[in-house]
Amino acid sequence: MTRELLPVAGGRRIRAVVGELAGRQKGRAAAAFTTLVAATAIGLLTAPLLGRVVDLVATRRPAAELVTPVVGLVLVAVAQAVATAIGVSLVARLGETILAELRERFVERALGLPLEQLERAGSGDLTARVTNDVSVVAEGVRSALPELGRSVLTVVLTFGALAVLDWRFLPAALLAVPIQLWTVRWYVPRAKPLYAAQREAVGAQQQQLLDTVGGAKTVRAFRLADTHLARVRERSGAAVSLALRGIRLVTRFYARLNLAEFVGLSAVLATGFLLVGTDAVTVGVATAAALYFHSLFGPITTALSLVDDAQAATASLARLIGVADLPAEASPAQPARPVDSSVKTAGLGYSYVDGHPVLRDVDLGVAPGERVALVGASGAGKTTLAKLIAGIHRPATGSVAVGGVSLDELGPDGTRRTVGLISQEVHVFAGPLAEDLRLARPSASDAELRAALAKVGALTWVGSLPSGLATVVGDGGHQLTVTQAQQLALARLVLADPPIAILDEATAEAGSAGSRVLESAAAAALEGRTALVVAHRLTQAAASDRIVVLDAGAVAETGTHDDLVAAGGRYAKLWAAWSGQRP
Amino acid sequence: MSTTGRQVLRRSIAGQRRSVALAALLTAGHQGGEALVPVVIGVVIDQAVANGSVSTLLLWLAVLGVLFAALSTSYRLGARFGERAAERAAHDLRLDLARRVLHPGGVADSGTLAGELVSIATSDAKRVGTVNGVLPFGVAGLAGLLVSAVALLTMSLPLGLLVLLGTPPMLYLAHLIGKPLERRSEAEQERSAFASGIATDLVAGLRVLKGIGAERAAVDRYRRTSQDSLRATLRAARAQAWHNGALLALTGIFIAVVALVGGNLAAAGDISVGDLVAAVGLAQYLITPFSIFSWVNGELAQGRASAARIADVLDAPPAVAAGDATLPSPAAGHVKLSALSRGALRDVAFEARPGELLGVVATDPAAATDLLDCLGRAADPAGGSVSVDAVDLSTVDPGRVREVVLVAAHDADLFAGTVAENVTAGPLAAEAMAAAAVDEVASALPDGAATAVTERGRSLSGGQRQRVALARALAADAPVLVLHDPTTAVDTVTEARIAAGLAELRRGRTTILVTTSPALLAAADRVVLLDDGCVAGEGSHAELAGRPDYRAAVLA
Repeated sequence: MTRELLPVAGGRRIRAVVGELAGRQKGRAAAAFTTLVAATAIGLLTAPLLGRVVDLVATRRPAAELVTPVVGLVLVAVAQAVATAIGVSLVARLGETILAELRERFVERALGLPLEQLERAGSGDLTARVTNDVSVVAEGVRSALPELGRSVLTVVLTFGALAVLDWRFLPAALLAVPIQLWTVRWYVPRAKPLYAAQREAVGAQQQQLLDTVGGAKTVRAFRLADTHLARVRERSGAAVSLALRGIRLVTRFYARLNLAEFVGLSAVLATGFLLVGTDAVTVGVATAAALYFHSLFGPITTALSLVDDAQAATASLARLIGVADLPAEASPAQPARPVDSSVKTAGLGYSYVDGHPVLRDVDLGVAPGERVALVGASGAGKTTLAKLIAGIHRPATGSVAVGGVSLDELGPDGTRRTVGLISQEVHVFAGPLAEDLRLARPSASDAELRAALAKVGALTWVGSLPSGLATVVGDGGHQLTVTQAQQLALARLVLADPPIAILDEATAEAGSAGSRVLESAAAAALEGRTALVVAHRLTQAAASDRIVVLDAGAVAETGTHDDLVAAGGRYAKLWAAWSGQRP
Repeated sequence: MSTTGRQVLRRSIAGQRRSVALAALLTAGHQGGEALVPVVIGVVIDQAVANGSVSTLLLWLAVLGVLFAALSTSYRLGARFGERAAERAAHDLRLDLARRVLHPGGVADSGTLAGELVSIATSDAKRVGTVNGVLPFGVAGLAGLLVSAVALLTMSLPLGLLVLLGTPPMLYLAHLIGKPLERRSEAEQERSAFASGIATDLVAGLRVLKGIGAERAAVDRYRRTSQDSLRATLRAARAQAWHNGALLALTGIFIAVVALVGGNLAAAGDISVGDLVAAVGLAQYLITPFSIFSWVNGELAQGRASAARIADVLDAPPAVAAGDATLPSPAAGHVKLSALSRGALRDVAFEARPGELLGVVATDPAAATDLLDCLGRAADPAGGSVSVDAVDLSTVDPGRVREVVLVAAHDADLFAGTVAENVTAGPLAAEAMAAAAVDEVASALPDGAATAVTERGRSLSGGQRQRVALARALAADAPVLVLHDPTTAVDTVTEARIAAGLAELRRGRTTILVTTSPALLAAADRVVLLDDGCVAGEGSHAELAGRPDYRAAVLA
């Protein structure tokens, strides 16, 4: 199967989406910007007020006159603090609201993606986007964006203030700019590949440790310790040497910025010297100009070093918007309604890779209420057949009808209401157990949840959990056993209550005792439904109404357990080996 | 000898002491230089700008240039030495940890989960290493503080004391104001992290959601969580913003006070105008060293906690002691259990004769695990013994035991590399691949046997992974091979084929199959039934199939 990654939005689309989201918050955006400009402008009054103190001292005025500028300094400090706090809160509100809307759109689209598309992309692609990219963008919105905004604002307004003191300070200060631009142009093309390599090396190191430490028992059993230690040393060493190359690059970047600082500061001081010499400005003004420029060191360095973060955030944003922009799954204008609970396939064929069909010409009919077991080797096409009937893959040839209506006429929503599929993936959703179950039926009362659990034989252990139905389960919560997790999946099926159910669970992972529990749970959950069961244990097959043996993508045998055993074919041989009775 | 966290930390610093010392020296130079910049600005204003002397201006600008060159160079080299010390220390710790985890003696009471161990080898090793990079900054902050103190005190004792003694209480005040806000913000940030956790969790369970048509319910649930999290984040951001505001206001007021006192002193002629400018600049600068101290303190606390976790791993006693008895070579593979007791096993005695394919059915999964541990000497028996070719395994070095007895666990991991590379470590690769039906696996993979295995084999399906792991175990051609439930995720058809292939390949070599699979047991020469940790029966699969307890364990 060729990988076909999920789409990534282009620069224009990113701007359009962010613009659209920000546009809804126009008032808030304007208020945030104005308050921050005010805060920064007020802050800039500090230097001239200090300059005023210097002037008063230099011109030998009485000390009592110092009180006015000092009181001014206190007022400026308080006003700037208040305005900054309000401004930063507003920026956070703006950014976080946009972020929340974006992540909700993203998750909505991600959950709506056709599984077929997801499988082509590899589930890692979507997982990486939802974990890494969402957090990179959030981090950008939370820290980089406000800091970048404030730094840029400070820099711009400070240059303005320098010009207000005397316009001739401005060109002096701007002497630093070409050096800074050159530094960034020098840095970015070098940093990008290096950081990419660094991320990769750290990932490889992490992966190696997972391999080695996580698989320590296996390493010991196969006496592979020396090989693995060498691999850890190599991967870790590679990460270390890239980190050291990174720090060399970063320190060279800062050294160039230091040069810019020195050039600008000297120019401003020299300008002050000339201007004071011609009596154009006072010593206090020259002091203020120098202090202004000195106070720019921090914000400029911050703004320039955030270039990396900004780039990372934009790249992640492109991946989020790429998914959020995907069209919803097409559904028919007037979806048909199922008339019964039968399943019928005609001439069904499917291939993941062209020229390698995994299903060929499968004709299968399941009567309403019938229970059919699918038996066959892996690769025989059992799971693919299950997925085609559940509407997860679209057939290459032939057709599938459930409830007497073809899947196309039923539409994706109708298909999912009609056919329930429990696949081999076992997942317990993080959160209270009741919430997990309510995913299947949001309106279910606690009594209905209990009834569903009782049906699959899970009520006893749920009752003995620390907080019963409210117990937090899944990742980071109470860990359920494999058997319990599968019972939960069956309880969800009971709650979702589709007329047709397909079971493709891996019961064998639960051990033989667990398998027995699950088999009776599955029997209860399938009561009153048409069922197609992928049988991993032959006892499951023996208990069904009919058995279909698949071989290399085609139906090889079909009939009841007794018929097939009597026929002495493929199934009979399997059963003999399984039950310990020599044929 | 026991290792404490403190020792781990100390060793990690000592191991890089040259780099740490150089980094401290150079970073101190950098901080001192940064502190001197406002001082030199003051001097330029005072000596040159106010007096109009070109030569003085040029002289002091040159001094400024030298200062910048010095502070820039010190930073550059200091940061490099610091990073080197941090990275190398973390690297050494990672290797120490890997070596300890892989030690043939194993780890007694291995309650630590694998994921946790990986996080110790990555994050905790990094944290302890980071201490090496952080310490120089602490020293540098101290140097900056010292330079400022000397500069301030030499220009004026009262002004110097005001700035030096005023800064800590001011920062402490800001800390007090911020504390309740910060605590609130931490709690709420945790809640906001929860939203992203939910999204990841829903995406991970996407197939399950699709199976029961629950996408819409899931989206609704996520929206609710996201909005809750948005409210929490906004409260946290507001708290943080006001905390920062408080610090900003306090700093501004403090500088106003310094300007007032300094201005008065200058007006009285006690200090020069330049001193005043410098004092104001230094009052601003001093926030840096103090915030460095609180940062260094936080990193040290984290480093200590991480070092303690690392020490726990390094210091854990081995599960089994070394031994000096030798096993015959080549080994005949006669395994004998005598009155073996451990965990769920009680007084178990049976043997696997050289070349026999023995099935073992344990009704209690814990008994199966304990049996495997004793056979591979991952643990020693509490009573009785396990011997191979009449040598008690508890007297043989665990590394040597595993040359003779290979225990392939049920959940054995695959390693990075291709499918073929995972198997070809052993001498019988081609035969093993056929016997374990890996040829079928390979034909279903994009690049066949050359397909890369990632995530410890999780990139393969359960059945595929099991077959590759089985092939690897068979390929090793060990004199005694112990297999635990090797085909649970394999379909019945293939399982029957594997049972035949396995018996054929292991002909003449001792093999113990711990399983409840009827297909495998049918291929065994003899089967031992362990019920409730004791031997309850013995015979062929067909013979035992008549017993109700055996049927319940295997055929139900």
